[in-house]
Amino acid sequence: MRIVVDLNRCQGYAQCAFLAPEVFFLRGDEALGYRPRVSDDQRERVGRAVAACPVQAISAGPAAGADVD
Amino acid sequence: MSTETLFRRITDYAARPDPYPLYAELREHGVARQEDGSYLVGTYDEVVQLLHDPRISSDAHSRADVDEELLRAEADGMTPAFIGLDDPEHERLRGIAMRPFGPPHSPGRIDALQDDIARIAQELIDGFDGREEVDLVDDFAYPLPVTVIGRLLGIPSGDMGQLRRWTDIVIASLDFDPGEDPAVKRRRGREAGREMADYLGDLAASRRDHPSDDLLSALVGDPGPEGAFRHEELKSTAALLLIAGHETTVNLITNGALTLMRHPEAAARLRNDPGLMPSAVEELLRYEPPVQLLPQRSPLTDIEVAGVTVPRGAPLILVLAAANRDPLRFPEPDRFDPARRDNQHLGFGSGIHSCFGAPLARVEARIALTALLARIGADAHPVEDPPPYRRSPVLRGPRHLLVRH
Ligand code: SF4
Repeated sequence: MRIVVDLNRCQGYAQCAFLAPEVFFLRGDEALGYRPRVSDDQRERVGRAVAACPVQAISAGPAAGADVD
Repeated sequence: MSTETLFRRITDYAARPDPYPLYAELREHGVARQEDGSYLVGTYDEVVQLLHDPRISSDAHSRADVDEELLRAEADGMTPAFIGLDDPEHERLRGIAMRPFGPPHSPGRIDALQDDIARIAQELIDGFDGREEVDLVDDFAYPLPVTVIGRLLGIPSGDMGQLRRWTDIVIASLDFDPGEDPAVKRRRGREAGREMADYLGDLAASRRDHPSDDLLSALVGDPGPEGAFRHEELKSTAALLLIAGHETTVNLITNGALTLMRHPEAAARLRNDPGLMPSAVEELLRYEPPVQLLPQRSPLTDIEVAGVTVPRGAPLILVLAAANRDPLRFPEPDRFDPARRDNQHLGFGSGIHSCFGAPLARVEARIALTALLARIGADAHPVEDPPPYRRSPVLRGPRHLLVRH
């Protein structure tokens, strides 16, 4: 599975980084970073992060990010 | 009826089971000035705008009606926790508290608690065995978050009873109860808060020499570049985390359980597909938010809100639960839809004061409701509907939720 975070929408509350800390992380104070390729054991956590993102900035799925590759 | 009495009608205990018609009335009138000079706002765009407006203060000193009791307590050395401060002080203290709690420095702390939370939830649910009727508040929704926040902070379990008594007094002191002298109640609340803070301060100090892996040890240990807490700051922050860790999650879980029993199709769907629970929790935060309104704000200067001038220092009450059902923002706002997509609710507030404990509350509610649905059958139902509610119009939720299952 791949993910893409729309960093223009992202407000940096880091809810995703709490819920899937191996996939989403904070660089320094505010900027969000993430690993776009999600391993199978992280899928469930990423699903929770997608649901919890207040601004729905995370897209996940086989097609996510297809247009940015 | 006049919108000048809306706040009185909202805080009236009779409105607790269903305040939503009053919130609709509020939205229709935009900004509603109250008979006591406070202002009520309940439309989504305006509430969001105010939550992000640096001219809106959370500091009690910014209010025209300064609370004498607060000034006395401060003269005695008490310092407010970050929920009652503006930036830059707010940011400094929140940053120090975040260091051992979440990313970037402690990315895994909440994640690591999940197994513990699931185990505590399961133990409580096992206690349902052999009983036809359970109280989802006293038997489940209350003990779960209280045990979790106690463990997270590192409080000996034998002391939790005393902390519960202090918490009850502090929470009651925030209430709007026409029958009681507010000054007396506030004083009692401050005394209980101070005793609790002293206790937590002593406990934290004892961790300095004997650290373990809990939050109190981390808060007195190795400071980051933001510097460390002064002792008074540590005390008020620890007390805030403990109190906020109590009531809000209890209400999120209880409101959730009640909502799911009232919507059997949604409950059935979630039983079949627990992967939908994270989004159902978001919908609960929109549909029945445990914090209904924020009563502690005031403008630092005269401001215009939807054509109304709110004068500097006036109490400004932001009704999150009304904004969450604004039809201009959410299609079919009164429908509970666990799969709702575009759901930027205000259940955790927004802006610099957005809920510090949100990630923990989400995890607890998801685990609790999933475990509960797995245990109680589709025919489980409340013995009384509506159930008896807590007094508070701010932290709104059932006091008891007797369920036959
Ligand atoms: S939860 Fe959403 S808004 Fe928050 S940091 Fe992650 S992507 Fe950004």
